[in-house]
Amino acid sequence: MWELKEYRIAGSIGEAVAMMRRGPGKGVYIAGGTDLFLFPPACDYVVDINHVGMSNIARTPDGDLFIGAAATLHDIATCPLVTGFAGGLVSAAAAHCGNRPVRTTATIGGNLCNALPSADLAPALLALDAVCYIADEDSQESLPLEEFFTGPRRTVLDGRLLVGIALSAASGGWRAAARRLTRSAEDIALVQVAVALEIDGDRVGAARIALGSVAPVPMRAMLAEALVEGELIANLDPDRLADAAAIAAGECEPIDDHRASAEYRREMVGVLTRRLLASVLAGSTDTSPGTDNEGGAA
Amino acid sequence: MKIVVKLNGRNREWEAAPGATLLSVLRDGPQEPRMTSVKRGCETGDCGACTVLLDGQPVNSCVVAAARAHGHAVTTIEGLAGDPLMTALQAALVEHAAVQCGYCSPGMLVSLYHLLKECRAAGTTPGDHAIREALSGNLCRCTGYVKPVAAATAVAATLAAVGRAEAGAR
Repeated sequence: MWELKEYRIAGSIGEAVAMMRRGPGKGVYIAGGTDLFLFPPACDYVVDINHVGMSNIARTPDGDLFIGAAATLHDIATCPLVTGFAGGLVSAAAAHCGNRPVRTTATIGGNLCNALPSADLAPALLALDAVCYIADEDSQESLPLEEFFTGPRRTVLDGRLLVGIALSAASGGWRAAARRLTRSAEDIALVQVAVALEIDGDRVGAARIALGSVAPVPMRAMLAEALVEGELIANLDPDRLADAAAIAAGECEPIDDHRASAEYRREMVGVLTRRLLASVLAGSTDTSPGTDNEGGAA
Repeated sequence: MKIVVKLNGRNREWEAAPGATLLSVLRDGPQEPRMTSVKRGCETGDCGACTVLLDGQPVNSCVVAAARAHGHAVTTIEGLAGDPLMTALQAALVEHAAVQCGYCSPGMLVSLYHLLKECRAAGTTPGDHAIREALSGNLCRCTGYVKPVAAATAVAATLAAVGRAEAGAR
């Protein structure tokens, strides 16, 4: 039983932040609540943000994709605006999270604000240059998603509210693919890799390689990206891709735990990065969950 | 705190602790009648024994705040008794020997009911993958999954046949 003193229901974004700041004691925002009820944090009150108008998914006139922080994983997995964006990279990540009843209430904001190193949506969003919109009582701020996470279960928020995530229209046309290694489909990921490439004629424009479960926070392998970005596709032979994959494996900072060793995780970052780069360059947008541990046979 | 819900079609007022889950309020009360079809299993959103419909969508009531249901509709098996689709599903589970201890059955039935209702509205027939996906949040440690999937497949086939007959009669 979660010993809460008060359940506050906010009617607007401003009211939600005010309710959070008001005290007394410690408060937590709640949307779907599927993570909070697993490990109820010690706090005095929660602020329900289900009724503040943050569950929308929309394309702006400029073609950017905006996903409200209270949009559910089921909505994100099935909304045509998301399934049709960058090969459906984000919707596939949402579809592989938890099970159907969890996805009914679990939200993208909760997945990000819970800030686990294995957050299911983080690699896909990082690979598409996601920008976070954050509200305070009377101001708003936006910042790149890679600056949002400050450590395991820690973010920059400090009482402020994540309002939503925006992906630029340009990234909607990127080719992308992702893999998520797990022991069983529902388990927390051992290793996550998402790759997105802007294909500009015979050349790669932007290149993004995002990793999850292999560092204190979801991260980008920027040194590896630099080896691919701006290159002629003809120059990206298997040796070059293997080099990039090895660099990505060097960039991550995995730990040993009961799910996998750091050594295995690092090895798999290399294997998956190499395969995903190759498959994206070949035009495939495979976002299958990868629950078969086939990486071990590489 | 006071929570106003539409439970199985009827307006109800609950008195619940701020940190109460939907499962605890439905199953343990204090208000009567208690919805004992809603089983307490893992309480971590994994096993699906507590699956109910919130505004027609399946949720694990063990990881949903009772207060989240304020102003919304909650449906349990009790509210679907006599519903033709639910009756057909229940009969099919029995017929296919998909029920053993029965602890997972209400959750499975809610998940399958939601799937078939959604497919019927969309004019589609769920295949093996869709049925397994719908049951992905319902663990069974007795019969396993082959028999429940066979039962759902049979009901889906009947619904498709009825749909074709109705279309032909028009």
